[in-house]
Amino acid sequence: MSRKPRTCIEIEADLVAAATGDAEPGAVRRVEHHIDACAPCRGEFRRYREIDGVVGALRGAPAAAESVARAREGLESRLADLKSRLVSYRVFPSPLGHILIARSELGVSLVEYLGEHTDLGASRLSRVTGVDPQEDGAEIEALHRELLEYLRGDRTRLEWPLDLRLARSDFHRTVLQATAAIPYGAVTSYAGIATEIGKPAATRAVAQALRWNPLPIVVPCHRIIGTSGALTGYAGSQIGLKQRLLAVEGVRAMGTRHDARVARNTLYHYDRNDQHEYCLPTCGDIARRPIGPVTLLASRELAGSLGLVPCTACRPDLHPLTV
Amino acid sequence: MMGVQPFETIVGAHHAEIYRYIRRVTSRATEAEDLSQETFLRAYRAYRTLGPEANVRAWLFAIATNLTRNHFRSEKRRRTAHLAASVEGREADPEGPEDEARFREAKTLLESTVRGLPLKQRLAFILRKIHDLDYEAIGRSLDCSAESARAHVFQALRKVRLSLNGHALPPETSPTNMEQPR
Repeated sequence: MSRKPRTCIEIEADLVAAATGDAEPGAVRRVEHHIDACAPCRGEFRRYREIDGVVGALRGAPAAAESVARAREGLESRLADLKSRLVSYRVFPSPLGHILIARSELGVSLVEYLGEHTDLGASRLSRVTGVDPQEDGAEIEALHRELLEYLRGDRTRLEWPLDLRLARSDFHRTVLQATAAIPYGAVTSYAGIATEIGKPAATRAVAQALRWNPLPIVVPCHRIIGTSGALTGYAGSQIGLKQRLLAVEGVRAMGTRHDARVARNTLYHYDRNDQHEYCLPTCGDIARRPIGPVTLLASRELAGSLGLVPCTACRPDLHPLTV
Repeated sequence: MMGVQPFETIVGAHHAEIYRYIRRVTSRATEAEDLSQETFLRAYRAYRTLGPEANVRAWLFAIATNLTRNHFRSEKRRRTAHLAASVEGREADPEGPEDEARFREAKTLLESTVRGLPLKQRLAFILRKIHDLDYEAIGRSLDCSAESARAHVFQALRKVRLSLNGHALPPETSPTNMEQPR
């Protein structure tokens, strides 16, 4: 068996590439030069050209259009399923400890205080069924930034699309929706929300629903307190967090960690009336009436934005609260 | 904040090609169906992190290639079985013109040769020769350099050359209903 000359061995890769239309111009020139003088390689070159012709024919579809369509149909259904389960999340530090934010295709589905923890295992996301959590910084980045602005007091609204899938029932969803309507700087009570949703006797159920609020801060359950003004619970027993969130909005609370109450004498009061008048806390006995029917307001600007006018008796416009 | 384009657009533009790619590599419709779907489900999870400059097509091929390789790794036995099964190629049309019949025969032989190639060579060959990916992209798909990718294609062509040895081929041109060689 005759051995191939070294030059032929060395040029083989270029020859194959050139014959199959896959070589750099320099290599093509070298190959052309070589096969001009070398008959066996010229034959090889021709042979690879022929093979390339057959290879080109492989480009015709190996699969019938209907099997492509069937695969596509299956994909659509699996994608829809994935989309409905997939939530992307991220844990990040904040002045209130680590916070996890998760969102689905539909909107933000979870905001959770994790305290010292930074891992998914500490989150309720790891325990709910039918949810496929995926860490995804990019998705959550903008939400994270807005939340920090909010906590600094540089932003008064978080206009996020919400996905209430983690609410435990339709009743809970109704409560969350009513709570989401309470504006920045306003405070009402569990009883007030119960009345609002047409179930005045369901105060305790409202409190339970808010205890399981999957979207604290965004659905501002910190603006909902006891009728007496007591802050009651928050994120377990973290009344301090509630106090801080209210303080950012200009709602002050006094007292101990276990018995904190909003300082009603520092807030404007609105007891529903046909004239839409809001009052100073010193107007008659208004500061002793239960919160719920009475809404507390941090500022006159807020009262104005809600379409309220100063009471003609106590004149909050002439004697604004200075504390 | 969102990915480069709506994901539905990506599916619409690339699903058929990715399916055909995997279909050719695995030669089983059910596997191809599953692996192509899996490719897009993976892509869906990650596409928001793609930069605007990303080559989505090459990226999808890389995911598909990766999944296919893992699939073969974990199912080596099945692979052997289906290799044996896949050798039964399509029959040449005996009534067609002589050139065409010869061409089909060569094509069938080529297909079975390609199926018998070592996986990396097979993938590199198909990515380059059927789907026109550049060697950089093929290298990324196969976790190797562009040069190694080129070498895989070269080795694949050599084997094809050997397997077609002594087989008469139509000189340089293919029948008119086939795509022309580049």
